[in-house]
Amino acid sequence: MARKPKPPVERTKSGFRLNLQIEERDLVLRLMGELRALLLGPNEDDRLRRLFPTAYHQPGDQAMDDEYQRLMREDLVASRLTGLNLVDECLSETSGDSAPLSEAQLLAFVQALNGLRLVLGTMLDVGEDDDLQDIGDDHPMAGEHHLYGFLSWLLDWCIRALQS
Amino acid sequence: MHTMATAPTPIVVDRPDQDESVLPDTPWIVLVWNDPINLMSYVTFVFQKLFGYSLEKATELMLDVHQKGRAVVSNGTREKTELDVFRLHEHGLWATMQRDGS
Repeated sequence: MARKPKPPVERTKSGFRLNLQIEERDLVLRLMGELRALLLGPNEDDRLRRLFPTAYHQPGDQAMDDEYQRLMREDLVASRLTGLNLVDECLSETSGDSAPLSEAQLLAFVQALNGLRLVLGTMLDVGEDDDLQDIGDDHPMAGEHHLYGFLSWLLDWCIRALQS
Repeated sequence: MHTMATAPTPIVVDRPDQDESVLPDTPWIVLVWNDPINLMSYVTFVFQKLFGYSLEKATELMLDVHQKGRAVVSNGTREKTELDVFRLHEHGLWATMQRDGS
């Protein structure tokens, strides 16, 4: 793939410009739709494990963690769905050269991208020392690993833009 | 000087149920744990955004998480630290809380 002339996200005077190709934007939107469906599905889906971590981890605090999960899980789902809807609105409305995103929209995008990485990374059982370079095209999950790499690349650029 | 007895009537307060093993002012700490998925740049950014830490401080904490396996990122009352944990969970970080010193 040819090197992109522009970074995928950049800060401009009027906000943050996403320089995604149409097929990249459509891919992100489709993945976010899949994340929404997962969030609205069964609670016990293991792919969502990292989106709802334990809060009270000490053995004697199990009752407090049960209470936290009971009270907060719904709020965590609602927060993620709100972010996904915001991203969906601002990415779906535009085509090609997209209108700049506000900082709030880019932050929602960042959280959604990270949510996708957490789900995909859980499915791929990503480890600390894993390197995408080691995944050959003949790997049975090569496509998913490349998708994970793409989301990582995009997220990292979003952070750079926010910190610039 | 004599005055009329004006002592206020004691008010009976209904106290909410409390875990009596925990004193109300017991400080709690919030820990963030290393995980293989979250990007180092993202973790640093979240620390800056949620806690207002400088880039230097946020980077130092992120490196502690990455190299030592965990770092204490905030502390306070149970209520405050539970909100911090919730916000970290909203951002996908692996955060837990415990009583300080335990």
